[in-house]
Amino acid sequence: MKITLGSLSLLLAAFLLQAQPGPPIGAKVPDFALVDQNGQTRNLMSLMGTKGLMLVFFRSADW
Amino acid sequence: MELQQNLPQLNTQKLGLAAISYDSEAILKHFAGRKNITYPLLSDPDSRTIRAYGILNEGVPANTPKALENRFLRGGEWYGVPVPGTFMLDPQGIVVAKYFEDDYRERYTASEILVRQLAADSGLPRTVSETKHLTVSTFASLTNVKWGQRIALVADVDLKPRMHVYAPGVEGYIAIDFSVSESPAIKIHPATFPASKKLRLKAINETVPVYQGKFRIARDVNIGTDPQVKPQLNEKGELIIHGTLRYQACDDRVCYVPQNVPLSWTLNYEALDMQRVPKELQR
Repeated sequence: MKITLGSLSLLLAAFLLQAQPGPPIGAKVPDFALVDQNGQTRNLMSLMGTKGLMLVFFRSADW
Repeated sequence: MELQQNLPQLNTQKLGLAAISYDSEAILKHFAGRKNITYPLLSDPDSRTIRAYGILNEGVPANTPKALENRFLRGGEWYGVPVPGTFMLDPQGIVVAKYFEDDYRERYTASEILVRQLAADSGLPRTVSETKHLTVSTFASLTNVKWGQRIALVADVDLKPRMHVYAPGVEGYIAIDFSVSESPAIKIHPATFPASKKLRLKAINETVPVYQGKFRIARDVNIGTDPQVKPQLNEKGELIIHGTLRYQACDDRVCYVPQNVPLSWTLNYEALDMQRVPKELQR
């Protein structure tokens, strides 16, 4: 098989996409029950907007 | 946090917002109060959810005796943090997009994700330039920027009636190009163009990829580190990014001389917030 620069960069792009951690695109994420800053327990359904949810993981609020 | 600024936009788009970290409820309460954060900050103190998502940062040393001696690592207390990133979920909890940076010092910003995901308008001030063929309105997805943040520089183009410009991939014509001037203060990502239309030119019996009417081109940049950015700031502490929109416009009869429209974005550079919670709340 002839490996061109184009096919190599496609492979690399595929690898980089794979390297994105966590549940892949198209997969359902695990639910959780976590307490928020006001002491309320929240799960996915309670956070969800009618069009979806932006779920952010951040390092720490104290660093 | 930058996310709070984007809350109205997320509400308009009917998207929920929540942010998870390994901090205690007390730390999150303190932080939310200090920063006026109204969206849910979720506490995952034993990193159980972070692990369930498979995004525990394995590069962070555990609480080993060696880490405990290391002041820089704060005695291994960082263990349990996630790889920072964002999932966009549909109402059923299915991942529709995700944003994780390879370099831990670089972070996607919500505003950049919104521009990309939803063709959102940041509601921030725009700069408008007009030529004979088009108007171009530019804005940055975030104007108060910090070290490592990834933001979008946006150019909204509105072509005048009957005009078209050529899309990337065209042969024999000058394709529209959106370039950003190199600077030590930023890392520039490739421009993202919308899908083009095929236009049949009867006179010469050719079909070419073009844009007509309104369309958006965006280009992401990562803000550099303090030593990279600070020398580039002006006396007001602003970082000015320059760019160019290059295009060749044609109407149904003639093609015009290629044009270069200078563009610029003014960003305010802010120091990282290093303030910590009171000692008794710290991890």
